[in-house]
Amino acid sequence: MRTLLRNAILFNGSSMEDDPTDILIVDGTIEKICSGTDAGQADRSWDLCGLVLCPGFIDLHCHLRDPGQEWREDIISGSLAGAAGGYTTLVCMPNTDPPIDSPALVRYVLEKSGYGKGTRVLPAGCVSKGRKGKTLAEMGKMALAGAVLFTDDGSPVGDSNLLRLALQYSSRLGVRIMEHPEDSSLAFGAQVNDGICSTFSGLKGWPTAAEAADISRGISLCRDTGVPIHFTHVSSGESIEVLRSAKYSGLPVTCDVTPHHLSLAEGSVISSGYDGVFKVNPPLRSISDKDSLWEGIADGTVDAIATDHAPYHLDEKDLPFQEASFGIASLECAVAAVLNEWHRRGKPFPMERLLSLFTSGPSSILPKEWKWLGKIETGSPADLTVLDPELEREVDVKTWKSKARLSPWDGERLKGWPVMTLVMGETVHIDRESFKGRG
Amino acid sequence: MWVFNLFFGGEGVLKDKTRVMTGKDMERVLKRMSHEILERNRGLGDMVIVGIQRRGVYLANRIRDIFNTIESVRIPTGVLDITLYRDDLTLLHDQPVVHSTSIPEDVNARKILLVDDVLYTGRTIRAALDALMDLGRPSCVQLAVLVDRGHRELPIHPDYVGRTVPTSRNEVVEVRVSELDGKDEVVICEREDS
Amino acid sequence: MEWRHRHVIDLDTWDRSDLQFIMEQSRSMDELLDRPIKKVPALRGKLVVNLFFEASTRTRVSFELAEKFLSADVVNWSASGSSTGKGETLRDTAWTLEAMGADAVVIRHGAVGAADYLARKLRKSSVFNGGDGAHAHPTQALLDLYTAWKKLGDLDGMKMAMIGDVLHSRVARSDIIAFNRMGVKVELSGPATLMPRDTHALGAEFREDPRDALKGADIVYLLRIQRERQEEGMFPSLDEYHQFFGADDELLEFARPGALVMHPGPINRGVEISSTVADGAQSMILGQVRSGVALRMALLFVCLGGANQ
Repeated sequence: MRTLLRNAILFNGSSMEDDPTDILIVDGTIEKICSGTDAGQADRSWDLCGLVLCPGFIDLHCHLRDPGQEWREDIISGSLAGAAGGYTTLVCMPNTDPPIDSPALVRYVLEKSGYGKGTRVLPAGCVSKGRKGKTLAEMGKMALAGAVLFTDDGSPVGDSNLLRLALQYSSRLGVRIMEHPEDSSLAFGAQVNDGICSTFSGLKGWPTAAEAADISRGISLCRDTGVPIHFTHVSSGESIEVLRSAKYSGLPVTCDVTPHHLSLAEGSVISSGYDGVFKVNPPLRSISDKDSLWEGIADGTVDAIATDHAPYHLDEKDLPFQEASFGIASLECAVAAVLNEWHRRGKPFPMERLLSLFTSGPSSILPKEWKWLGKIETGSPADLTVLDPELEREVDVKTWKSKARLSPWDGERLKGWPVMTLVMGETVHIDRESFKGRG
Repeated sequence: MWVFNLFFGGEGVLKDKTRVMTGKDMERVLKRMSHEILERNRGLGDMVIVGIQRRGVYLANRIRDIFNTIESVRIPTGVLDITLYRDDLTLLHDQPVVHSTSIPEDVNARKILLVDDVLYTGRTIRAALDALMDLGRPSCVQLAVLVDRGHRELPIHPDYVGRTVPTSRNEVVEVRVSELDGKDEVVICEREDS
Repeated sequence: MEWRHRHVIDLDTWDRSDLQFIMEQSRSMDELLDRPIKKVPALRGKLVVNLFFEASTRTRVSFELAEKFLSADVVNWSASGSSTGKGETLRDTAWTLEAMGADAVVIRHGAVGAADYLARKLRKSSVFNGGDGAHAHPTQALLDLYTAWKKLGDLDGMKMAMIGDVLHSRVARSDIIAFNRMGVKVELSGPATLMPRDTHALGAEFREDPRDALKGADIVYLLRIQRERQEEGMFPSLDEYHQFFGADDELLEFARPGALVMHPGPINRGVEISSTVADGAQSMILGQVRSGVALRMALLFVCLGGANQ
């Protein structure tokens, strides 16, 4: 099977090519990167004129709820949702039931992800046995089985000694620890950002200090052990500042931010009349926090954009705010939400910067064998995402592959959408309308 | 929209058609009515005058003043708001506004003279009687209206009438008093579709 | 007058003319309370459901009296715990009530956003928020405003000192909005641990010393101190609270002479208020109770009485 993608604006993971580029894919591998190729060489050919061809997008952080909570999502539905959202690789979190804390469960995820015709799913394993925060899980065995990150996400690794041990122990495995940054006592019972939102709503406030304090602790342990650490869903300006100075001093710390913290703020909670759809951990922050995240992207403090896709059944979200579950499902509109906000802000930096946070940024955080993700190179498997940065379309949760049926963006018109996703050369998603007349 | 207006007295523009009483006419008529009231009741002992909000209140005050002039007695006068007793609340277009009810004397065993501007379907008076009964048990209630325009929907009959004015249902009779409207007059208006 | 509010959830959407209108309507209703027969037929045939997920005798009885004085049919529906605790969601409860023909639902719920949520789910009925978590208690704020307005007239340019646990108080949040809109300056005091993050955004200034907050105040509003807060460690002891923030004659000296003393009730004597102040000449606490009935009658009538339904 020979597939030809012609006339694309090529983003190779770090920069944009100046001239329209063609890519020839033979049996799932990138055979040739060239220009002016004759369409007759291929069994199938697409004209990507005006579209941006990128390395397949990677989501370092999503919840696929499998095993154990399949009414919310499962590996198949999640992998199809990922494909529709422009992702070729998803890293699913281990806070399942039971938690993914053993090689058997790591293999379960990898095996089940092969059944669907969607995105590649890679498992993250727990740092602690049973995700209880007491003793180390079998990280070595899980790494061998294919775990790509270790995290107790959903909760922080609260015990500082355990976190230190985890960093030391995982060092030789080449699998990074991802910390869910939250000081549990400061965040206890909290529901919304401690600011305008807590003031007006009377809901318990979630200070940004709860996040920054835990990040500071993690940075100290990183300095202490010399082992890299990744902080996920960083939400506040204060945290960005702490991370910026740690990076400046040369520490191997990395972080990701979410599409919802990049495009929404705490005001939405109030203006929606306390709609549970806006309830998320960490909470939507102030406008100035949101601006700081964008500055963090601009100056390189932020390494990746990860969805923290957290699907729930409607019955768990369609409740009075205080009783609704924490989480925003976004896989299928995450890229669009970010691109839309980038447009709205008047394109504050070149698109390459943004695209690297979906590609080369996250791939650099994954173990060595996945470093080829996030680049477009001859001889590599063809994991590709095609974007139409100007396409405007309404979000409609009814069409989602995900089991989640509500979203803060439902009904909203967003600008900039992924239109085609290829995993190992297989088309796992194509937006038929965009490709009318391009075949 | 016009159907709504026709039935519910909505947004149609009211246009003056004919003036049926001038200020002078009103003064004469109120004097005549006062004399009738005096004559019928053989004096004013036990009487309390009650004006129905809003224009009935001003007419009640005029009658009180006339009594004061001709008999040199000041009859206790109160105001009655019937909003909470209306049977057409759900048919109203505008937000009903509750005004004050204030009657200076206990109404028990008193003779009540109820005063209103226009008597039409009789529903306002029905509401006023209910409101009055909730305040006590008067020995009797008499009704004085400046204009009776017919079209009664309830068995209610006035004791004293200023003037009977035949009207059609799509006309409106407006009694204007100088305190609220700048001058005294009674005008028949007609609704025009807006 | 055109009335725009089908529901009464929060006062943030109310403007001054709405407040003024309700004050005037409450005064008309207040007159009824002096009559031998307090019942009027205004809401005959309307079904009002009092849906209480939290025990609150005062608010429920006040609403119930208001409903009964207006001749509405009243159903008290109490449910304990959270809406999901009994296996029925608030959504299903809402639709059940509507199927039974409720014209209005008064809801008291421990979760912030419960009244908003109910209003979103009901197609026809009006929703009256009887308190949702620490978020809003609009009818309390309106009755407080009415009590002050009745006593002091136009409140524009006056000052209110509010002392106590603002952080956990729905009453405080709604009162600050209501009094602000009528031109009253609000200053807060209490332990800093019981203040919300951004009092300024709320429309009130925080003074560490209650004497500063009281300086020149026309109204002194005392918030109830919940014993649980002390148990949670928000402040060291009730006794210490009383010593620094409890309203006694000495503290009251700092307010304008004759300033009104208000409290949403029930009061904790010897904690946020001393008995001499609670029972003193300046205390409006019982006046507030009466105002509550009149105000709620006015609200019910205004929202249910016309053709706006």
